[in-house]
Amino acid sequence: MQLNPPTRSSSLRSKLSTAVCILLASAAPAVTPAVARADPPATQLDASLLIYGEHTRAKVVEPTVRVSRLFADGQTVSAQIGIDVITGATPSGGLPSGVSTTGPPGGDGVVSVTAASGGGGTGPSPADLPVTRFNDTRVALDADWQKPLGVLTPVVSGHFSRERDYQSIGGSGKLSLEMLHKLTTVTGGAGFNDDNVFPSGGTRAPLSDSTIIVGHDWNPKHVRGGLVGVSQILSRRWMIAVNGSRSLETGYLTEPYKVVSQMDPGSGLVVGQITERRPARRERSDILTSSVYHFLRDVLYLSHRYYWDDWGVRSNTFDLKYRHELQDSVYVQPHLRYYAQSPADFFRFGLVQGDPLPAFVSSDERLGPLRTATVGAMLGFTLPGTPGEWSVRAEYIRQFGKGHPDYVTGVQRDFNLFPPVNIGSLVVAYSLAF
Amino acid sequence: MASPCEVLVDCDNRDVAECALRIARDEAFRIEAKFSRYRRDNIVHAINEARGEPVPVDEETAGLLDYAATCHEISGGLFDITSGVLRRVWTFDGGDRVPPEGAVREALRHVGWHRVRWADRVIGMPEGMEIDLGAIGKEYAVDRAAGLIAAEVHEPFLVNFGGDLVASGSRRRQRPWGVGIDDPRRPGEAALYRIELHRGGLATSGDARRFVLHRGKRLGHILDPRTGWPVQDAPRSITVLTATCLESGTLSTLAYLKGAGAREFLVEQGAQFWIL
Repeated sequence: MQLNPPTRSSSLRSKLSTAVCILLASAAPAVTPAVARADPPATQLDASLLIYGEHTRAKVVEPTVRVSRLFADGQTVSAQIGIDVITGATPSGGLPSGVSTTGPPGGDGVVSVTAASGGGGTGPSPADLPVTRFNDTRVALDADWQKPLGVLTPVVSGHFSRERDYQSIGGSGKLSLEMLHKLTTVTGGAGFNDDNVFPSGGTRAPLSDSTIIVGHDWNPKHVRGGLVGVSQILSRRWMIAVNGSRSLETGYLTEPYKVVSQMDPGSGLVVGQITERRPARRERSDILTSSVYHFLRDVLYLSHRYYWDDWGVRSNTFDLKYRHELQDSVYVQPHLRYYAQSPADFFRFGLVQGDPLPAFVSSDERLGPLRTATVGAMLGFTLPGTPGEWSVRAEYIRQFGKGHPDYVTGVQRDFNLFPPVNIGSLVVAYSLAF
Repeated sequence: MASPCEVLVDCDNRDVAECALRIARDEAFRIEAKFSRYRRDNIVHAINEARGEPVPVDEETAGLLDYAATCHEISGGLFDITSGVLRRVWTFDGGDRVPPEGAVREALRHVGWHRVRWADRVIGMPEGMEIDLGAIGKEYAVDRAAGLIAAEVHEPFLVNFGGDLVASGSRRRQRPWGVGIDDPRRPGEAALYRIELHRGGLATSGDARRFVLHRGKRLGHILDPRTGWPVQDAPRSITVLTATCLESGTLSTLAYLKGAGAREFLVEQGAQFWIL
């Protein structure tokens, strides 16, 4: 006689469980983890390391560890810690200088901007976008709890993160209800985030030349949001879901270190730069439609997300993943993603000197006419003779956009103000249950 | 189901209990009528008598065949719903009659899911082959019945079809369901072990009741589709607990088919199990 704790799911087991779920989907038995008194609680450990690099720009290294514990009554508690180490450079928001410069021997060029944390930035060639060098470390803690209560499953989660100039505290609650023999699941939830921005060197006055400091306090930012969703099992193989969310952000929504260049109306040369300014309110909404289709062995995931906000940003994201089983406990999952957004109403690559200042302006590329295309693949495997499951995911991301606006002048018309950026990302993950 | 079946409902209302019982009985009879290989008026009979002709099947049958195909694949061919042909040459009556090797070899020519054409809800088998959904039918019926009862009855219940069972949740006041595991040496007489089950499916595979004696060795009724012979050196009784009766039943059958490797297999799968 032997009594075994529920331990890691092997690949055979997970395929079998999936097959059982597919077959019984229309009968809807309790496909929740089995519980017998003798069960000791099961613990799962997930660890991952993300390495992300934008060519000539930011680099991120992010180790994450997550521990989950499943109790005999179906209750799950998990906690996660993640540390991001970010170094490199980010576009300052300014325009290319338009002039060749030679710095002092051994020094950098002359186009430099104040940095978030770290040194100044340079634009060594006339057509290059100026960048800000920075480095920061972010620590994030997350915890969540869920417990099935019959057809209802409440989930409560909390979040805290801190980096040099930013702190975030948040929480959310979600309730899922299974209906119609578990073929349909309806989910509703709400959450909040209370964040604070402490710009390094003080908060600059908006639309100023960065030298006017209006305060050394924190700048609060609040987010309140809600979501609703429905998922539906259509057949033994096919499940679709529609989720919508809406959130309201208020407070300090400005990027403290981003600037907007002012160019000469004739030559287009940069003659000055001012800090950006964004509205203190942003209403964001999105609708995510997804589909999971199980073939006999393989699985196809498709999703589309439409996003819009009252800043004028509209975006579409198309995502496709295909999980292909190579052999027992080895699979490969190619991934394609395309993202396209329209710029915010107040997005400008630069302003023309002498024109009246707009109420709001930003040249943050994330609010611009941004496109990204992602090609990647994940390989999942186990190592013979060792417990746990491994995965390695590698992705190539190309970020690009329309960089020839008609409102720029002179030399700026010759430049692509949204030059393509090549990005690579690698994630190694390990999962172990015991 | 050719075995004792019961439904336990923890409640004070007789009508509720009878409602659960009625649902389980109707579902059991429905599944038996549709998938029993002993009947001549169902889809299994139509498939087995098609003499090589393709047979289109309904959604539910397709689901079971897909499931069987997956089990065949993930078990490397050990789990095979076409192995029933072998039973014609074996008699498991507790006696010592072993078929001649030629008969086993001949029967093996008609065994192997890989010889079956199964696509787009149409199945085609070479003449002489047969499918038998007995290895999954009972567990499937348990989970199906439990799903149907759960939609109508909101009291805790347990469905037990011939020893393969599922519990919907803890009994009242968080008490567990007590489930005994038969002593494989004295089947039906004594429970060797008591499991306190709150929720999930339990299924047992073993050779307690049906076996044949060969050279002093006891050979159980579960046949290895690769050799045509009963699986050797398997534990007498393997009980598995997972979320569903079907998964437990499939895992215990796969474990039994591994013979002496049963325990190692179940440890690898991370399943909770009892080997007696």
